[in-house]
Amino acid sequence: MTGFILRRLLWTIPVLLLVIFLTFVLMRQIEGNPFRQTSRAVPLAVQQNLERKFNLDEPWYIQYVLYVKGVFTFDLGPSLVTRDRTVNDIIKEHFPKSVQLGLLAFAWAIVFGIPMGVLAALRQNSAYDYGLMFLSNVGYAVPSFLVATLLIYYVSLKGGLLPTNGWEGSWKYKVLPSFALGLGPMAYFARLVRGSMLETLQQDYVRTAKAKGLRWPRVVVVHVLRNSLIPAVTAMAPLLGFIITGTFVIEVIFSIPGIGRYFVTAISSRDYSVVMGITVLTSVVIVFANLVVDILYGILDPRTRDARA
Amino acid sequence: MSVDPREAVATGTAAPAIADLAAQAGRPVHRASLWRDAWRRYLQNRGAVIAGAVFLLFVLFCLIWPFVTPYDIRSDPVNFQQSYEGPSVKHPLGTDQLGKDLLTKLALGGRISIAIGVGATLAILLIGVVYGSISGFAGGRLDNAQMRLLDALYGLPYLPFAIIVLAIIGENNLWTMVIALSIASWFTAARIVRGQIITLKENDYVRAAKAVGARWYRILSRHLLPNTLGVLIIAIFLELPGVILGEAFLSFIGLGISPPDASLGSLAQEGRAVYRVHPNVIAIPSIAIAVLVLCANFIADGMRDALDPRTRETKEH
Repeated sequence: MTGFILRRLLWTIPVLLLVIFLTFVLMRQIEGNPFRQTSRAVPLAVQQNLERKFNLDEPWYIQYVLYVKGVFTFDLGPSLVTRDRTVNDIIKEHFPKSVQLGLLAFAWAIVFGIPMGVLAALRQNSAYDYGLMFLSNVGYAVPSFLVATLLIYYVSLKGGLLPTNGWEGSWKYKVLPSFALGLGPMAYFARLVRGSMLETLQQDYVRTAKAKGLRWPRVVVVHVLRNSLIPAVTAMAPLLGFIITGTFVIEVIFSIPGIGRYFVTAISSRDYSVVMGITVLTSVVIVFANLVVDILYGILDPRTRDARA
Repeated sequence: MSVDPREAVATGTAAPAIADLAAQAGRPVHRASLWRDAWRRYLQNRGAVIAGAVFLLFVLFCLIWPFVTPYDIRSDPVNFQQSYEGPSVKHPLGTDQLGKDLLTKLALGGRISIAIGVGATLAILLIGVVYGSISGFAGGRLDNAQMRLLDALYGLPYLPFAIIVLAIIGENNLWTMVIALSIASWFTAARIVRGQIITLKENDYVRAAKAVGARWYRILSRHLLPNTLGVLIIAIFLELPGVILGEAFLSFIGLGISPPDASLGSLAQEGRAVYRVHPNVIAIPSIAIAVLVLCANFIADGMRDALDPRTRETKEH
């Protein structure tokens, strides 16, 4: 097991290098030197000094090495537009809010999605099952901005129950955005867990457990549920991508000062070091989430260890 | 009948085997084909049929309505007296701020969204087929390297990359949206194609083709790729929802297609400013997106059950 984890850990290094490389190559293609975006014309000497200061006069591979060094020493460089602020400052200020939003959305999905799927599987083909599967299909299809707008309209404006936008302070600010973001994953979990539960319920060992007289709740919890949750663990990694994509929209709608909204601002103001820093950061988060999921999967299902490492 | 229709058709034994059975039963002989079987199975799935019909109707509406409607969104004069009217006989879905017909705008937006969706889906499948079939067919080290690359890229969020690609091109029209949305979304499609090719490669008819001296490109183009058509058709409807939603997200945060063109996402964005007073303006295009996505999901499910009955059996135990 240690060997598996170690090999898997080592494998993340080339992956990170590659992902940073791709982002780096893409970013270099964007037209326009950011220092020329200001309305004041910059004298040539100043321009050259600036380029030297930010290593823009070096060949691209040196710039790449310097950037990689920066990433691994947690220094993503200065913001090109906002004076006196580094990309690190910006991430430090905005990223935690996005993380909180994402985790709360995951919490909605896990706390409600999994039990809903379990109940649907245990009552297969009942009215509850059909209703839930219908709702889950709808929940997965409706764009989150519609969910968010409807929630604001009915809960905040008509009902006056929760604030319409903002983030800091009371828990009340966090309910609607995280729910709007978590609804898709919740629907997804419900469907996924229902499917894998139905499959597990057919297994011989479940029949054996029933036949030897175990109580049904115990069979469900010990024999069925634990085995049915493995696909849910694997689904975490793609769902994280879904949630990251969702935060861009949800943060804009609810005016949450998170990293997704900052990314949208940064791309408009051509603050490329910030754009790149945020892209690399999200990619690193994804790479590590994949790592954690793989290791968890290796623990849950030992058969996959050799195949994956 | 235990003959797997796909295998039977692929190996060329379908017609005689089925003819035998039918003759034994004393019934008239029907030629069976994979596609006819699949179509029959698809029609038995009520949800998928309804979804397919709704999807088709919406596409037809988007294509035809702009020619039928008395309104011309671009050249009709602005009329603030009519702004944000509710539904009426003249304007079944009401009007926007400039007094323009929302039904016509919906059709035009739907056109763009569907065009981007279909374009990006085809691009994704094309990249997936090229990458996946090289990987699956070559096998060995190349396959290994290609799969490692996919592992590395797996799960990367497409949105930041799409936004960067749009910034590189510097123009937001239909074609650039197609490129941006497909560039970081083809990983799953490539895996599906590779898996299919590897399975197909083991078939006897491929060995037979090799044995009679067929070149690799002939095996690939005549024996392997045509047999991936089934999974590719399913993949169209699996990828479409993601692309349509991705386009809607981009347009909604203001980084999507630029005016005067409008997609369903940018129509929703227009509605965002006034949702407190006129929620219908944002709701209409959003519901259209939801309907498209929902239908595509159901169609994909129905097609999977129809084209690959084995998955259906395990699902329904």
